[in-house]
Amino acid sequence: MIRVLNFFCVALMGLSILALYHVSERTRLAGVELNHVNRQIAEEHSTINVLQTEWGHLASPERIATLAASKLGLDNTATVQLSSLELLPRRGEDAAPLTSSPVRNASVVVPSQTDSGDTH
Amino acid sequence: MIEAPTIFQRRIVIGAVMCVAAFALVMVRLVDVTLFRDGPHKHWHGLAEFARADLIDRNGELLARDIPTQDLYAHPHAFDDKAQAARDLALATGADPKRLAAMFTDKHPYVLVARQLTPDAQDRVMHLGYPGLDFQPSARRYYPDGRAAAQVLGVTSLDDDGDMIGLTGLEAGLDAKLQDAAHPVQLSIDMRVQYILAHEVEENREHFHAQQAGGIVLDVRTGEVLGMVSVPDFDPNGYEPKPGDTTHNIIGQDVYELGSIFKILSFALATEDHTMRPDEVFAIGQGYKIGKYTIHEAEHMPATLAARDILAKSSNIGTTQIALRSGPTRQRQFLTTMGLLSRLHTELPEARKPLYPSNWGTIETATISFGHGISVSPLTFVAAAAAVVNGGRKITPTFLKHPEDGRGEQLIKPETSAKMRELLRYVVTNGTGKNADIAGYDVGGKTGSAQKPKLNGHGYTHALITSFCAAFPIDDPRYLVFVLMDDPHGTKETGGFALAGYTAAPLAGRVIARIAPILGVPQRPVITVAPRSST
Repeated sequence: MIRVLNFFCVALMGLSILALYHVSERTRLAGVELNHVNRQIAEEHSTINVLQTEWGHLASPERIATLAASKLGLDNTATVQLSSLELLPRRGEDAAPLTSSPVRNASVVVPSQTDSGDTH
Repeated sequence: MIEAPTIFQRRIVIGAVMCVAAFALVMVRLVDVTLFRDGPHKHWHGLAEFARADLIDRNGELLARDIPTQDLYAHPHAFDDKAQAARDLALATGADPKRLAAMFTDKHPYVLVARQLTPDAQDRVMHLGYPGLDFQPSARRYYPDGRAAAQVLGVTSLDDDGDMIGLTGLEAGLDAKLQDAAHPVQLSIDMRVQYILAHEVEENREHFHAQQAGGIVLDVRTGEVLGMVSVPDFDPNGYEPKPGDTTHNIIGQDVYELGSIFKILSFALATEDHTMRPDEVFAIGQGYKIGKYTIHEAEHMPATLAARDILAKSSNIGTTQIALRSGPTRQRQFLTTMGLLSRLHTELPEARKPLYPSNWGTIETATISFGHGISVSPLTFVAAAAAVVNGGRKITPTFLKHPEDGRGEQLIKPETSAKMRELLRYVVTNGTGKNADIAGYDVGGKTGSAQKPKLNGHGYTHALITSFCAAFPIDDPRYLVFVLMDDPHGTKETGGFALAGYTAAPLAGRVIARIAPILGVPQRPVITVAPRSST
């Protein structure tokens, strides 16, 4: 009986050692894989950060303005070329904007010829 | 009598002890692994890269970020010809060849060759094929917009421990916040506004051959600084500064006698205290005597002027008379209330205390009323001017995004603020600010042309500091634009004049014309008058 018990204990210990080694090895391999994946993630993050930085440089207002002027011939829009939806005549209204009350109350008049007023 | 254990019993005991020892070993290891060891993923937390938080503008555009680079170290004992290795590595990395030669021959086992190598420099080093080289990951601060926001963002450097710290500008002022790499810091700067301001200020500086120039755009309700420019500037991504480059920010860092632009505050005081009516007529004459001193005009003025025309035409004599009604004590108290006699605290660390006379008498009251004898930083003045037009409430400029109403205590009455807005609009429609008038956006503002003091502090030179402070739309202002030119020179188009009406007001107008549509400021109706036919 004691011999059987001894054998059982030793066998159990052997199996435990094997199981522990197996788990330990799998853990080590998983750790290696995790490190590898983490490194890849970090490298991807690093690449994304660099690409975002490059995009920030490429899309900077200074560069866009230079390209728009040189390649498309665009220039700054004068404010007299701008309008707002509120100033558009509504359906059925007189299309001539000069009769509308907002324009009658216009605060700024743009002369066609530059004033040669004295400024100091 | 106790019998001695048999051989079998001893073997059982030995086996049991071994089992217990084995299981104890397993348990100890288990406890060690589960409780005291870090997981493998934690090894990544110690990387040096991305150690500093991003700076982004109010719209989320990237302004500054750490990008990964490599520091190069060398084991000099691995080099056969140390002098040649020093020359080659210096050429490849831009390091000082003399330093490298000295370090390589000085029996140092491990030498830092160069920090923050770009990929190009790394390639050059790799192509040299030297043994004993070691690359260590590090980070470098990169600014995608280059010079456009360089002065306000500032620069970083590595301290003795190899950590990146802010040296100037917001990099220094927000250093504590930027240490937390996980959370980007969002600034109030709008990069579109910043670029337009930088572009226009630099063009104007070149056009009028000014020594320095600067500008600021401020939201008068929230206190947010949407743009701040100071030129000459510098390339924050460059290794070598170009001649004339500087990190000096004249808008936040310098104090100036700002000249007639100060009349905004003199008129605000008189309006607040009801010591003047806008239609009240003052005698101007050829000079105004105060003791042994005589106040002169910068240019010819009519014999009499109404108060509103004193501001519109920028009469020193008229403003002096108005200021003297308040007196030195009240003037000083008012300027103190407006924050002009104390250092302004913002996220920008570079700020100087204003300079003002310790003996504040009658003549000082007169000169301070038109902006001489007191030196304040443009940023400090802008904060005071914003309070004048925003309904009379205190505003503290901030460089962090803060879209909520930031107005504080009431400094002047709302009615005073409303009257001042009318007067500032009058300056632009009928006075020295005509060149800042922009169709569709009611601009109000004031010019300032101050003579620069001599370096020895006695008297003034003929060079000018010209400035313009504008608010728009003036009936309910949202934004304030301030521009400054240091020693501009008149041109043929200006008839040789370098006064603010010619050199600063048009600049402010151009800035407003470009930023107002971007900022969504409602446009007023514009009537275009048909050209007269020349019959």
